[in-house]
Amino acid sequence: MMNARLIGIAQYGVAEAPETLCCLGLGSCVAVFLHDPVAKKGGVVHVLLPKSPKGHPPDAKYADTGIRLLLEKLVSCGADRNRLQAKLVGGAKMFSDLSLRMSDIGRENVVQSRKTLAELGIRIVAQEIEGTKGRSAYYSTEDGSITVKTAFSNDRRI
Amino acid sequence: MQRDGSDSALEIIQEFANIGAGNAATALASLLDMELVNEVTSCKLLTLAEVSAWLGGEEQVVAGTYTQLCGDLRSGVLVVFPQESAEALVTHLSKEKTDLSQLSALQKSALCEAGNICLCWYLVAVSRMIETDLIPAPPGAAVDLLGAVLDIPLAALAASVDQVIAVHTIFRGVERTFEGYFLLLPEKDMLQTIMDRMGEPPG
Repeated sequence: MMNARLIGIAQYGVAEAPETLCCLGLGSCVAVFLHDPVAKKGGVVHVLLPKSPKGHPPDAKYADTGIRLLLEKLVSCGADRNRLQAKLVGGAKMFSDLSLRMSDIGRENVVQSRKTLAELGIRIVAQEIEGTKGRSAYYSTEDGSITVKTAFSNDRRI
Repeated sequence: MQRDGSDSALEIIQEFANIGAGNAATALASLLDMELVNEVTSCKLLTLAEVSAWLGGEEQVVAGTYTQLCGDLRSGVLVVFPQESAEALVTHLSKEKTDLSQLSALQKSALCEAGNICLCWYLVAVSRMIETDLIPAPPGAAVDLLGAVLDIPLAALAASVDQVIAVHTIFRGVERTFEGYFLLLPEKDMLQTIMDRMGEPPG
């Protein structure tokens, strides 16, 4: 876990076996992982917001354009888009007592990520989403598994 | 303060945050019955991905209380206590031993309220200084990984920008180990108003 490469908010990155990628402290953010199990390649985009404004250049900050950026990059690195499997982590509601427009952004990020993946024909094979807890996710390109850590409970592997 | 170039704008922001944090620390000190001092405010322009690393890393467990100004001037304001300090704070207020991983409803409420008091005192002081009403939304509190606590404050700003100005003031206990910090994430209009009201008159 120590050698995992960090993908921060509004960033995306790809890797191949045996490298590990991680997104730390996901609250309302969603990490969308795409994995090609045959090539043992994959990547992640760490999105903060669901939908990019009209006319905005493609940006990893947004689920709709960020997932597409990640897909393009993966395909250009030799992953086969027909084999890609998606996993989602994050999208929690961090401040349950906050009544702002922003307070449900986690769910919106999840909804938009699912929608964009559906448009691209990529299947979601596992997820660890919503709820009220922050998460860190460590993705192994070796087997596509993701270890999800939280502040006070046991790790989960998806 | 850490300065990017010789921008006097940052000095103005520093002064602004110092006065807010000073007032809030006074309130917190009386609530805790201990002496607190503020360290010098630091202020930095950061990309979204850099903010939590600048504050010490995404995975540290913290208690954060957040509010957003919802009047003409928009800004996020947070007060953050690292795990040990948050536990000391709640232990002091609830008179029972506190473990952040299993807070009772009452303890969570006490933590949120202590954060809220800090934020309000911060805002009262700066609001007087710029002679502008600042209207905070009801606050939210979370005990979690720092990165997760920061997502909503950053999401609230990031629709229009890729970089944020983070204004950070640490407070520490003088005799006892206790610390925390205020983080101000102002939107552009808020920054402009601070400059206009507090800056040197032109000429």
